[in-house]
Amino acid sequence: MLRGYGKPGKATKKTKIMDRNQITKWLKSPDKMARKYSLHVVYFCTGCGIIEIPPTITARWDAERFGIIPVATPRQANLFLITGYVSVKTLRAIIRTYEQMPEPKYVIGFGSCPINGGMYWDSYNTIKHLDKYIPVDGWIAGCMPRPEAIIVSVTHLWTLIDKEMANGYLRYKKNYTAYRRNQEMVLGTLEWPPVYQESGNGDQESG
Amino acid sequence: MSSSLKDKLQSMFNNVQVSVLEETRMAVSVPPGSAFAVLRYLRDSGFDHLALVSCVDWQEEGEIEVVYILTSYMENNTEYAPEQKLHLFLKTKVQRDKPELKSVIDIFQNAEPYEREIHELFGVHFEGHPRLIPLFLEREYKIPPFRKDFDTRKYVKDTFDSIPLVED
Repeated sequence: MLRGYGKPGKATKKTKIMDRNQITKWLKSPDKMARKYSLHVVYFCTGCGIIEIPPTITARWDAERFGIIPVATPRQANLFLITGYVSVKTLRAIIRTYEQMPEPKYVIGFGSCPINGGMYWDSYNTIKHLDKYIPVDGWIAGCMPRPEAIIVSVTHLWTLIDKEMANGYLRYKKNYTAYRRNQEMVLGTLEWPPVYQESGNGDQESG
Repeated sequence: MSSSLKDKLQSMFNNVQVSVLEETRMAVSVPPGSAFAVLRYLRDSGFDHLALVSCVDWQEEGEIEVVYILTSYMENNTEYAPEQKLHLFLKTKVQRDKPELKSVIDIFQNAEPYEREIHELFGVHFEGHPRLIPLFLEREYKIPPFRKDFDTRKYVKDTFDSIPLVED
């Protein structure tokens, strides 16, 4: 007998097609539910963590079950996985990519390197804290995290979206002055003008 | 096989030190002035593939050693036999205070990115290189970052750790 199948003629609980508890959620806030189940990941490779993405999106772990699908361009994406160490040169591309993404947009730092530098903690060319430059909604610790960790982190992101705590893009708008200042401190001059109006209250929370 | 090459090199050029590390590996040390000529001779005698240009910083001796690693694809190479493929390391030492060396792009075209890399990471100036602009690095460094006296910890503390957090 094939594993995973019950005895014929006997319905098991696992064969339930839809969770009825979710119907009220759908009716209450359809926008949140729609955002939760259509996370389009921008396929941007930084560092070594990208090696975990192909098994995640393909047949073995099949992240599309959870509504996660990689897209080719940031203009169609709303989830940004920073997969691995971020060098100074990559940071410039990350900021440009992040600013091109439509709202609402979420950022997950993947691996220990974007969190605090990881094994590149005393490198001359790797930034140590990604959240000094762009807002990050969640972190996956580990070197490397398993593909399951991506799926688990996305379920955490669902909870954050439900509670309206995945508000990195709003924080980016609010503290844009401080973020832009930090970006210019490490990158020198930026070739593009500020994307948001100078908010003025960015420096308040920086202390 | 490789002993004949050793004799040839030592008879043709001055101050050449040849040491056979293994049966298939040979290290040749030359003064920086004759590195170009030795490389041209080696290219003409069949070492047609420049695999890598590497660099070592000898801080205590006050020297920087540039290493050219040569192999061969040609089957009619005089130093080549199918069972014995020779890897040749050509080493030359330049002064650490004023590291200057002639570019070998005229002999091996693929030396261009390697020399750019060594220029930005070790500060070796290659004469005759058409564009010695940064290859990987985004920031300016007072001391080239791969030199031994570059204090990475202090640099990280000054540069990246001094940037304030935006929010808690």
